[in-house]
Amino acid sequence: MVTSVSAGRKGRRHVDLSEPTFGVLLNTPTLLLITALMFYPILASLWGSLHFQRLRLGSLPKFVGYKNYADILGREEFWEALRVSAVFGGATLVAVTVLGVGAALVLNEEFPGRGFVRALVLVPWAVPPVVNGLLWQWIFDGKVGILNQLFLDMGVIDSYRSWLANPNPAIVMAVLVFAQVWKTVPFAIIVLLAALQAIPVDLHDAARVDRAGSWARFRHVTLPWLTPALVVVLIVETLTAFQTFDLIYVLTGGGPGTTTTTLVWLTYLTAFDRLDLGHGNAYAYIIAMVQFTLAAAYIFSLRSNKSISQ
Amino acid sequence: MRLANRLRHAWFWRPLIAGSFGALLALYLALPVVWLVRTSLMAEIDAMSVPPRIIPEKVSWEAYALLFNASASRPLIGVQEIYEVLPSLGNSTLVAVSVAFLNLLFGAPAAYALARLTFAANRWFLFLYVLTRMVPLVALMIPLYLVVRSIGLLNTRTALIVVHTALTLPFTVWLLKEYFSTVPRDLEDAARVDRCNWLRMMLYVLLPVAAPGLIAASMFAFMFSWNEFLFALLFTNTIASKTVTVAVAGFISDLSLPRTVVAAAGVLALLPPVFVALLLQRQITQGLVAGAVKG
Repeated sequence: MVTSVSAGRKGRRHVDLSEPTFGVLLNTPTLLLITALMFYPILASLWGSLHFQRLRLGSLPKFVGYKNYADILGREEFWEALRVSAVFGGATLVAVTVLGVGAALVLNEEFPGRGFVRALVLVPWAVPPVVNGLLWQWIFDGKVGILNQLFLDMGVIDSYRSWLANPNPAIVMAVLVFAQVWKTVPFAIIVLLAALQAIPVDLHDAARVDRAGSWARFRHVTLPWLTPALVVVLIVETLTAFQTFDLIYVLTGGGPGTTTTTLVWLTYLTAFDRLDLGHGNAYAYIIAMVQFTLAAAYIFSLRSNKSISQ
Repeated sequence: MRLANRLRHAWFWRPLIAGSFGALLALYLALPVVWLVRTSLMAEIDAMSVPPRIIPEKVSWEAYALLFNASASRPLIGVQEIYEVLPSLGNSTLVAVSVAFLNLLFGAPAAYALARLTFAANRWFLFLYVLTRMVPLVALMIPLYLVVRSIGLLNTRTALIVVHTALTLPFTVWLLKEYFSTVPRDLEDAARVDRCNWLRMMLYVLLPVAAPGLIAASMFAFMFSWNEFLFALLFTNTIASKTVTVAVAGFISDLSLPRTVVAAAGVLALLPPVFVALLLQRQITQGLVAGAVKG
């Protein structure tokens, strides 16, 4: 190390800085940016959540202590939004897991055109979430959507219906989940496929020698290897679903009624529609708390599962 | 070998079954986008037909012509939003390219320090960068809006560029650090022996060798910025600043707009990130996996 320091000094002969100073200097722009635009705001949000403030210019914050939180926890809309978020996240998670594992297993097999399908996996991942909403809005459209015609031809329905303005909240939620899954399952497929490819071939060979059937091999060889990656996928997908904003903005606007009003959507409405920053910040902070907990679980699971990070 | 014999063997069936599921998967992934492209290439009357025509009778570039020649069509259509698409694509390009560039400008030096220099604070810096992943964007929404408003940067692309850069930098630094660690130290040492200063060593030795990593990292930032909607919606509300995601989202609630034109705008909005992802398939995949399981 001593030699590398002196070599470094010789290299930078014009600016003769010590290695630590130089290291800190090189990180300064990044540190300044994330401090100003991420760490400061997250604290400002906490501060703001303890104040009463309107969005209009010149409105000064007034300290109210934990009143905003007390208000929120006493409101029906908070618990309803929490429930909607949980249903949306839960349904997405189940669908992403089943579809993700299935697709990764298929793409781990040899078949003609596999490279092409693997490339296609990146398409939904890269599509802007706003455009994702646009895609499904039309497919589920009540007048000219293809789904109506498809279902009509198959005899599932007997007349065209509106899927996104449906009186049945479960149907609207299902549409939302469908769109979310299409956009986020590629991440699951990519990570799970990478984990599958890391399984040593000898493990399967050894299991075959032991006359393990294909289900037994999946259960005792593949699944244990897949589990750490699966945990990562589950947590990342939960965080993503929990934070979903664009899709709801485009597809349902939180409606009909409040059937798709998630916590994030409620936060946005409170701050930028009702112009109530204090309660908006309190909502935001509750989200941040849930997120911190989930993310901490994520990092903890990474630490305890070093096997997948080689 | 006779057919009957073949049918009895797994090696015959397995690719067939996997191939059929693979084909289904391909349809699932591609059809929604194909449907959007189809709609954008139809005449408006065909697009509104009930029952929907699966394959349009003839291809029409009408919708794209309207978008690219919006000012001429404006008196005819009389809809403000169509006029906004072309400038919004320009705004998105400027913002996303700037974000990608700033990520390299700030990210590469920081990553170099974390990968190569020994100093006590580097573990702390890395910890801080990983910590930013836990911050939900909605929690930043209100304070950042207030900051941007108070310094008078609402409805400017600058505000969006700076915020997007801050949001993407931690991942960029981390990714570049991983790339730099794979570059052999000998190269730098050789440069030092030649009495190259640090900046020259970076520009002429390390960065060219790590070019694939630089491209991947900057393209992650580009795609994030191009696709980002929440802050774009809050910060940019004028023709001069609005990005394409905001413009397209504005379309969706307006049912009076020609459907084919909305579809064409959607296609233009998804083209750059999808193109980049397919072009850099390997690097993007590796980056996603490494970002997910290492951290």
